[in-house]
Amino acid sequence: MEMSKLNLNEMFSGWDISTTEKVDEGLLRIAEKEADVNARLEAVLSKQCQIEAKLSGISKAMTTLLAVENDSNKLNMQIVNTAQLAESVSAKVRRLDLARCRASECQQRVHDLIDLQLCSQGVVKAINEEDYEKGAGHIARFLAMDQQLLQRTADDVQGSITSVSDAVRTLEDATEKMRELISKRFDEAVQHDDLASVERFFKIFPLVGCHRIGIEKFSGYICQKLSAKAQKELRNTQDIAKAERRLHLAYADRLTAILENFARVVEVNQPIIEAFYGQESSSLVDMVTILQRECDLEVKNLLLEFNKNRQIQYRIKQVNDSAQRQSGASMAGNSIQSLGHYRKPSGGSIDKLNPKDIDAIIAEITVMHSRIELYFRFMRRRLQTNAETCLQDKEAQKQILDVYEKVVKQCDLSRQMQEILSTYLLFEKYFMEESVMKAIGLDTYEAGQQCSSMVDEVFFILRKSIRRSLTTQSINGTCAVINNVASCLDGDFVTALRAPLKNGYPSGYIDLAQAYNAIQTSLQQGKLHSSDADRVRTNFIVQLNNADMSTEYIETLWQTMEQEIAGTFPNISPVERQLLDSCLTELKTIRDALKATVDFGIQQLRSSAIRPRLNPWVDEFLNYSHHLTEEELSAYEAGETFVQYFIVQLDGLLNSFKNALSARNYDALVSILATEVTNRLERAIMKSTFNRLGGLVLDQEVRALGTYLTGATSWSVRDKMTRLSQIATLLNLDKVSELSEYWNPENNSEMPSWRLTPNEARTILALRSDFRMDDIKRLQL
Amino acid sequence: MEDYKFLFKIVLVGNAGVGKTCLVRRFTQGLFPPGQGATIGVDFMIKTVEVEGEKIKLQIWDTAGQERFRSITQSYYRSAHALILVYDISCQPTFDCLPDWLREIQEYANSKVLKILVGNKTDRDDREIPTQIGEEFAKQHDMYFLETSAKEAENVERLFYEIAAELIGQARSKDGNSAAAAAAQRQADGGGSIGLGNLSAKAAQSNCCGGLNSSGTGNNSSQGG
Repeated sequence: MEMSKLNLNEMFSGWDISTTEKVDEGLLRIAEKEADVNARLEAVLSKQCQIEAKLSGISKAMTTLLAVENDSNKLNMQIVNTAQLAESVSAKVRRLDLARCRASECQQRVHDLIDLQLCSQGVVKAINEEDYEKGAGHIARFLAMDQQLLQRTADDVQGSITSVSDAVRTLEDATEKMRELISKRFDEAVQHDDLASVERFFKIFPLVGCHRIGIEKFSGYICQKLSAKAQKELRNTQDIAKAERRLHLAYADRLTAILENFARVVEVNQPIIEAFYGQESSSLVDMVTILQRECDLEVKNLLLEFNKNRQIQYRIKQVNDSAQRQSGASMAGNSIQSLGHYRKPSGGSIDKLNPKDIDAIIAEITVMHSRIELYFRFMRRRLQTNAETCLQDKEAQKQILDVYEKVVKQCDLSRQMQEILSTYLLFEKYFMEESVMKAIGLDTYEAGQQCSSMVDEVFFILRKSIRRSLTTQSINGTCAVINNVASCLDGDFVTALRAPLKNGYPSGYIDLAQAYNAIQTSLQQGKLHSSDADRVRTNFIVQLNNADMSTEYIETLWQTMEQEIAGTFPNISPVERQLLDSCLTELKTIRDALKATVDFGIQQLRSSAIRPRLNPWVDEFLNYSHHLTEEELSAYEAGETFVQYFIVQLDGLLNSFKNALSARNYDALVSILATEVTNRLERAIMKSTFNRLGGLVLDQEVRALGTYLTGATSWSVRDKMTRLSQIATLLNLDKVSELSEYWNPENNSEMPSWRLTPNEARTILALRSDFRMDDIKRLQL
Repeated sequence: MEDYKFLFKIVLVGNAGVGKTCLVRRFTQGLFPPGQGATIGVDFMIKTVEVEGEKIKLQIWDTAGQERFRSITQSYYRSAHALILVYDISCQPTFDCLPDWLREIQEYANSKVLKILVGNKTDRDDREIPTQIGEEFAKQHDMYFLETSAKEAENVERLFYEIAAELIGQARSKDGNSAAAAAAQRQADGGGSIGLGNLSAKAAQSNCCGGLNSSGTGNNSSQGG
C-alpha cells in the first residue's frame, strides 16, 4: 500500500495539470486506481473469516498440547525410575555372579586340595606298587591344576596347615621321578623289544606332561624296527622279486614296501596319538618329521642299491656320450644331415645303448617316482584330517600343514625324487629320440599303401612316451616330455619328411637339372638302380602322404593327451594347467610346420610334375584352326577334338596320382592342376584368333573341361574355371552388341560377376576375326 | 583376456641363487620376497605389457638353477624367443659358469634366440664382477648386457620391456620379408633394421648410463650346428 501511495505521489508530480482537460484526465485515472484498490481490499477482507477460524483452531489445539506435555513428562520420569531400578538389579546380579564364580573357584580349589591330598598320597603308593598308569593319572590330575593358583592357596592357608605345600612338593618330586622312571622303563622295553610295554609307556608319557619326549622315543623305536626290517629286505630284494616274478620292478617294489611301511605306521598310530596326545596338536607332525629322517635314509640305501644293480650311472654316461657324439657329428657335416634323413643307425659302436634295454628301467623309474608322489599325498591327507580333528581354528590347521610342507621341501626323499625324475627324463628322451630315428631309418613302404611304416611307428613311440610321463605323476616331468616330443618332431621327423620333398619329383627327366639332381641323390645314398626314378617318385609321394597323415595324427595325439592329462591330474591348480596347456600348444606349432611341409611338397609337384607335362598338351591348342566352316566343323567333331585329347591326357596324369596320394593331397593336386590348366589355356587362347564357329567350339570345349575337372575332385574347382568360361562366352557371341546384355549384372543374376576388366573383354572380342574393331570400341562397358 | 597382438616366451637361466625368481616376481607382481626357496622344476608367469601401442603377452619361464633340474629346464629352451642368462655380481662362481650355460643354450635353443646377459644384485656392496667384465663377456658372445637389482627394482622393468620391443622388431621384420602388407610396419621400425640394432639404438636414446650393450650384428647369422 505504502509503495503504491508513493507511486501515486510520483505519478501526480509527473502529471501536467495546467489545463482543465488534463486535470479531468488525471482525475479519471485516479478514480480508476481507487476502484482497483477497493477491489483488492475487498478480496483481503473476504479472507478474514477463514483466518479467524484457523486461529481459533490453533488455540484449541494449544490446550490439548499441554496435556500431551504433561503425559510425556510423566513417562520420562517413569523411564528414568525403571532404568535406575534395572541398574541396581543388574549390579546385584553382577555381584551375585561374582560371588558364584568365587564360590566355584573356591570349590575348585577345595577339589584341587582334596585331589592334591589324594594324589600326593596315591602317587607314592602307585610308584611303589609300579602301577604307572595310576601314578601317572595322579600326576596328570596334578599337572592339570593351576600351579600358580595352588601356590596362592598354599599361601592363603598358610599357618594352619603346611600340608598343601608339602603335597605340592611331594607331587613335584613324584612327577620328576615318574618322568625318569617311565623313560627308563620305556628304554628297557625297547631293549627287550617288548612291544606291549613300549605301547603302554608311550601312552603314559602325555600324562606326565612329556608329549614331545614320548613322540621322540616312540618314533625312535619305530625307526629302529623299520630300519632293521628294511636292511633285511634290501638284501633279499632280488629273491623277493624273483619269487613274485617281478624282477624288472624289483626296486620299485622295494621302494613301495618301504614307503608303505611308513605310511602304515602313521595310519595305525594316528588314532592313538589323537586320543592320548590330542592336547598337543603338533604331535603327529612331530612324529612324521622324525619318521621322515629314517625314511630318507632307507630310500637312500635302496637307491644306492638300485643305481648299482641297474647300472644307472653307466647308462647315464652312455646316453650323454651318444648325445655328444651326435652333436659333434651334426656340427661336422650339416649337409649330410639334411640329405640323409637318419644319422647312422645305432650300429658302429658296441658301447651304444640300445633304447630297448632301458625301456624296462624307464618303466621302473616311473613307478618309483609315482610311489613317492603318492606317499607324500597320503601323508598330506593324514595330517589334514589330524589337524581338523585337533584344531578348530583354520589358521592353526594351516600351520600344521605348512610345517609338513617344509619337511617335504627339505627332506632328502624330495631331492632323491627330483634326481629320479631327472634320470627318467634323460632316459625317456634318449629312448624316444633313438626309437624315432630307428623308425625313420627302417622306414618301409608296402605297395598299395599311401603312407609308409614310420608315421604310425613314430606316433606310437611319442604317444607311449607322453603316456609314460603321465605315470610319473609329475606335472613338471610331463611338461618336459611334451616339450621333448615337440622338439623331436620338429627336428628329426620333419627333416626326414622334408628331405625327399626338397629333392623334387622326377617326372620322366624332362628337366635336365631335375634328373641330374635325382641321380646325384641316389648316388649319395648308394642305391642307384634301373628303376631309381620310380623309387624316388614313390618316396616323394609317400613322404608327402606321411606329412599329411602326420598333421592328422598330431591333432589326435594332442586331443587324447589333453583328456589323459585331465584324468591323471584331476586336482590341478590353475598355474599348473597353464603350464601344461602352454606345452601342449607347442604341438600345435609343429602341426603348422607339417602343414607347411605338405604345401611345400605340393608346390614341388606343380613345378616338376604338372607344369612340364601340362604345357605341351595345352600348346596343342595352337595347332588347331579356329576358323571353321560348317564342313570343317563336322569334320572336326567327327575326329578327335582338342578337348577330348586334352582330357585323356589330364585323366592319365591324375590317375597316376589318384590312388597314390592321400585324399587331401589329391584334392590339393587337382586344385593346383585346375589353376595351371586355366592359366595356360587362357594364354593359348589369347594367342589364337577365332571365327563364329571357332568360338562356338571353344565354348563347348571349355564347358567339357569344366565338367571334367569338377568331377575329378570333391572340392569345388568351378570357381577356378569362371574366368575361362567367361572368355569362352565372349568368343561365342553372335554379335558384338550382344555383350551389353550379358555385361550388365542386373540382367543376369545367375551368372557370376565378371572376372574380366572392360579392357580385357575388348581385347578378347578382338580375337574374333569377324568382329569389327569399331563395334568393339563403341561398346559401353 | 586373450586380447594381445604378440606372444613371446622368455626363459630365465643361470646358477642357483642368482635371483631369477626374484627378477620375475619383481616384474610380474612388483614384489621382492626375501627368503625365497629354491625353484622346483620350472615356474610360469604371464604378464601383458604394452609396447609401441601393442599389447604383448609375455610368458616368462623361471627355471630352477640346481643341476638336478637340468633335464626339465633344457626342454624349454627350444621354444624360447628370448633367453635371459643371469649371474650374481657379488659371486664370482656364478659368473665362471656362464660358458657352461652358453654351451647348453647352443645345444638346445634355437640359433636365432635373443640372448641377454644380466648381472643381478647391484644393490650389494660386495661386488666381485666389475660392470666392464660383464659387458665384455656379453660382447664376445653376441649378447645384450644389463645390470639389475630385483631388490631395488632397478632396471627390471626396462629389461623386460626392451626385450619385448626387440622381439616385436624381429617379428615385424620377419613379416616384412614375406608380406608387402607389413612394409608400413617395417618403416615404423626404422627402415627395416633387423635384429640387434633396434635395441641398442633404443638404449642410446633412453640415455641411461651403463645400459644395454649391443654386441654387433651377429644375431641372424647361424651359430653353426
